[in-house]
Amino acid sequence: MNNADIKKELVKMLGRDKVLIDDLDLMYYSYDSSFLTKLQPVTPTAVVLPASTAEVQKVVRLAYENDVNIIPRGAGTGETGGCVAVEGGIVIDLSRWREIVEIDVNNMQVVVRPGVIHADLNDELAKFNLFFPPDPGSSKMCTIGGMVANNASGLRAVKYWTTEPYVLGLEVVTPTGDVIITGGQQARCIKNVSGLNLTKLMVGSEGVLGIVTQIRLRCFPRPKARGIAMAVFDHLDDAPATVLEVYQAGVLPSGIEILDGSAIKAVNDFKPHINLPEAEAILLFEVDGNPPGVEYEGQIIKEVAGRRARQVEWSTEKKRMAELWEGRSITATAAARVRADGSRIFAGEDISVPISKVADVLRAIRALGEKYGIQVVNYGHIGDGNVHCAPVINPENPEEVELVKKLVDEIHLLAIEMNGSTTGEHGVGAARRGYAVLEHGPAVDYMKKVKAAFDPKGIMNPGKLF
Amino acid sequence: MEFKELPPVKEQIMKCVRCGKCRELCPVFGEIGIESAAPRGHVFMVQMLRDGKVEPSPEVYEKLGQCLMCETCSANCPSGIDVHELNAAARAYLNDKNPNRGKDFLFGNFWTKPEMMKQSIKVASLAQRLGLQKLARNIGLTRLLPGDLKDAEKILDNIPPHSARSQLSAYTPAQGESRYRVGYFLGCGTDFLNPEIAQAAVNVLSRNGCEVFIPEGLKCCGLPHIANGKMDVARQLTIHNLKLFEKLNVDYIVTDCGSCSATLSKKNLKFVLEGTSYQEDGAAFAARVMDLTVFLVDVLDIQVDVKIDRKWRVTYHDPCHLVNAQGITEQPRELLRRIPGVELVEMPHAASCCGGSGTYSVTHHQLSMQILDKKMSNAASTGADILATCCPSCIMQLNFGCKRSNWNAEVLHPVVLLNRAYEPAPAAV
Repeated sequence: MNNADIKKELVKMLGRDKVLIDDLDLMYYSYDSSFLTKLQPVTPTAVVLPASTAEVQKVVRLAYENDVNIIPRGAGTGETGGCVAVEGGIVIDLSRWREIVEIDVNNMQVVVRPGVIHADLNDELAKFNLFFPPDPGSSKMCTIGGMVANNASGLRAVKYWTTEPYVLGLEVVTPTGDVIITGGQQARCIKNVSGLNLTKLMVGSEGVLGIVTQIRLRCFPRPKARGIAMAVFDHLDDAPATVLEVYQAGVLPSGIEILDGSAIKAVNDFKPHINLPEAEAILLFEVDGNPPGVEYEGQIIKEVAGRRARQVEWSTEKKRMAELWEGRSITATAAARVRADGSRIFAGEDISVPISKVADVLRAIRALGEKYGIQVVNYGHIGDGNVHCAPVINPENPEEVELVKKLVDEIHLLAIEMNGSTTGEHGVGAARRGYAVLEHGPAVDYMKKVKAAFDPKGIMNPGKLF
Repeated sequence: MEFKELPPVKEQIMKCVRCGKCRELCPVFGEIGIESAAPRGHVFMVQMLRDGKVEPSPEVYEKLGQCLMCETCSANCPSGIDVHELNAAARAYLNDKNPNRGKDFLFGNFWTKPEMMKQSIKVASLAQRLGLQKLARNIGLTRLLPGDLKDAEKILDNIPPHSARSQLSAYTPAQGESRYRVGYFLGCGTDFLNPEIAQAAVNVLSRNGCEVFIPEGLKCCGLPHIANGKMDVARQLTIHNLKLFEKLNVDYIVTDCGSCSATLSKKNLKFVLEGTSYQEDGAAFAARVMDLTVFLVDVLDIQVDVKIDRKWRVTYHDPCHLVNAQGITEQPRELLRRIPGVELVEMPHAASCCGGSGTYSVTHHQLSMQILDKKMSNAASTGADILATCCPSCIMQLNFGCKRSNWNAEVLHPVVLLNRAYEPAPAAV
């Protein structure tokens, strides 16, 4: 079939309201949040909006029979071009499929379809005193399907880790059009070591092995109390040093976040009521648990951080905690506010380094920014070494674009050199695939063999990962 | 000014990082769920238009026209993009490239002539009172509007027989000593569809020491024209109104309509008057413009010292153009709290759009109704017997929502309730 026939067949299979084929409609699916697709948007052949496993299966089978690429997509909030048809094909937009199939309160599990929004899920779970702990900054717009595909984490990975340990099982439409259940067909258990762990393989595979159509997640009881300590530093180096000292004092906070001086300005400009103190850096330590424990750990953090910090604010007041956490969450895009004619770009934005080297990497990024004459706003999950850099440029100025590409490359190489990775949680997608061999060496060949075993025709989200 | 040179087009497009925060906030995206309805999608499409990647076609207008200009995205954009301004600029450009005779007449002619509007409304009202709904459909007013009029026309139910203007004097003296000279910006929705708001506003202002001026020849604030791609007409209307108020020498210019005060705000007038010699005049004018509830609470610090026997359970809907465009949430609530007998109960998602948005409920009727149904469900959950809001367009939409959901609540502006609390004190009007 040619493209025109494929489009007709898709409409015949799913109905006109679940298929986009007009050129204008398709253009809107040429981007995600990445700098890559901002520079080079790529329009797909068609977009489908399925709402059942059978519909996904039909589309995949059609694509398989006709050697057409398939690209799964959630909310399109990713930063790597991972959900964009960089080599053409049919985009499967799963973001309208928002069903919470079941909340199994006794077994502390929830079964969802891929389009459920992270914040919506936690709002529902809260009714049962449960929560799904990974907490991405994009909580209010990203989908659970996208989180699974990228093994997303976020602000609470220090204590609760990433999406992966919470995924107990998946329903997957494979690239050949089969439907498999990972983690046990009938399983409701939490521990399960039977068979090869295909669940673990699928999580973080960025849609190159199949399309996830249902997700069984483990939930945790909701902590009864929270507290946030904000430590304010006049010297950037003191912030990462304080993180290590808090760990050494025997405290494992649920989140440790850093905002550098420019990130603080950006947040205050967008939300003046948050009123963060001006400084070289601030750290936000969140602790959660039972009320006496939270207070106890909060006091230890206050005492330890107070040795280096100019001031430490400890709060268990809901409004203030929400403000501080919101301040950190909005930094990703508010970063652009440090320059009137600038935009932050999502490139080189997700490096991960050993926590002992965070101070070194922050200094090195600052030096790189000066070298290229580009302002870089730094923030991120300092507690696990995942640093988010936000270069702010005018993306419509070709000279700045060329310079920032060089800057980003150096940031990625710096991370690898420092025993880290080019990405801690956002994924590789199309944007970082060029670093695969440098990071993984011959293991990349085995990754390709695994993909070929699932996807013999190479139609599932090609041009990503490696 | 050339489309590409317009400040929002020139300065704001490149700021969008397509983070997608706007997707989940947008009431239209919430119903449609595809990227072409997302605010970041609109920014993208304006960029494509600017860069010549798409033709300025009616199809592009249709995509951008899905936005109901509620400004929720603009108010919450971390990158600080005024999506509605970008969209309005693009609509004006597209409109210039694709002239539409019906729209040109409606927004370029009819909606610039208050007398013609008054006469048409009168006829429509008479037709309704005589039970001649079909006649009302055929007089030409509704026929000129695009959209699914078969259903949309029902929203314009119960048109009052007389406009506010025909019942109010150009000057109303203050009762007692004069504290302020106040210009009253009588918006179209209040004038033709909710004259009781104007009567209440003038009465309350006068009773609280304000001389009230309603300039002769006042025209529309221009918002329907901005929303429908007739920026040139909006500009003319703005300049006309500026000149009228200039002569009055008033301390404040108040309006009961959230959309009017947003349109007459400093930020919006800068946008509308860009490239003209009226920018300074616009800024000076805008500095005196104030929402009626803000004026009553913040300036007059109104105290309602009357005894009321009955109780009102009231819930408040935030009009988009107050909450998003101006950040006004507290004063309308505070005014309600100061009315004896009022028990104010918050509805869930009070600041979410009702789907009315002026002409949107006509041009995109089905979508508008879907958004309205969500609003009504939240409002009705309060068990209130009064649904208060500060926008005549919202009042029209919410009234229709009450009928659709069989909820027997009264929809009104807070000032109407305040005026009612003053009764049986002698009315000023």
